[in-house]
Amino acid sequence: MKQKRPKILLPTLREKDRYIKFQVISEEPIFYPDLEQAIWNTFLDFFGEFGVSKTNLWIIKNLYDEEKQIGVIKCNNKSVQQVLAGLGLISRLGDNRVIFKILKVSGTIKGLKLK
Amino acid sequence: MNYDLHIHSAFSEGESSLEKLASTAKALGYKGICFAEYYEGKNQIKKLQAEIKKVKQKIGIEIFLGFEARSVKELKFLEKIRRNFDILLARGGDLELNRIACETPEVDILTHPEYERLDSGLDHVSVKLAVKNRVAIEVNFREILISSKATRSKILANIQNNIKLAKKFKAPIILCSGALSHFELKDPNVIVSFATQLGLELKESKDAITKIPESIIKQAKERKSEKWISPGVKIVK
Repeated sequence: MKQKRPKILLPTLREKDRYIKFQVISEEPIFYPDLEQAIWNTFLDFFGEFGVSKTNLWIIKNLYDEEKQIGVIKCNNKSVQQVLAGLGLISRLGDNRVIFKILKVSGTIKGLKLK
Repeated sequence: MNYDLHIHSAFSEGESSLEKLASTAKALGYKGICFAEYYEGKNQIKKLQAEIKKVKQKIGIEIFLGFEARSVKELKFLEKIRRNFDILLARGGDLELNRIACETPEVDILTHPEYERLDSGLDHVSVKLAVKNRVAIEVNFREILISSKATRSKILANIQNNIKLAKKFKAPIILCSGALSHFELKDPNVIVSFATQLGLELKESKDAITKIPESIIKQAKERKSEKWISPGVKIVK
């Protein structure tokens, strides 16, 4: 059975989102589960559970392009700098050394121009 | 226009070649980089300059040659041959070297003053001297990257103290990756964002990766011209 959802909040009461488009530069291919695990682990280690809760962080699974290694992270507008800083601390995904390149920050997914 | 003025290549303690580092820096959006090496003789300068010239033409990015002094003795020697390279860095960590670097107008950057220390390595006197002699105080990203848990928290606390002092006396702050490998180079946006978490305003943080390095490079170019005599003194006619 589908779970009932609360009513959608008024625009003034809603949190403003930001979408960060990034590219993972690496020598070996990077797959989504490794990426997701590394991001969550690094953020929880560095900012703690309470710190991450304030960012409203979410990694959007269906927008990750495994071929180009381009992905999208959602957070709120007040914690963009915090999330970018956190991404810089990821230097390894499993055995692979990686660099995160920030491609764009936008208020909408459409604005990221993924296609 | 972003610059990273503290990168080590395979010529010193780094792992990656000049070409690999330069191409990665260009891909990340840097306009220029500086290879900060350790001095090993005249032949090394010639070899490095030839290699830099080759890579510069191939990759299309500004590349500068710098030397990082590891001791007071080395710093005094590098001061004498200052015109043979672009940027002079002093490897911070030792209290005496930190102080002498701040006192020396020939020094451009004091790298990680809190390196392997329990305190921040700087006091208000040193920072005032750094302002007077236009020595930029570096925030080194690699130090944070390679540490973890309690060590990292101590390093972050020390860096925050240095930033607070530098802001109070309006000393130039510079953000560098301190990379030893091309995988340790970071996106300029990431470095800027990290500095905002450490107490810099966004504008100050952006200046620390654009305007401050630009002024260091401008000074380095002036220093190499024939009209330059010493800091603040040059031939007008």
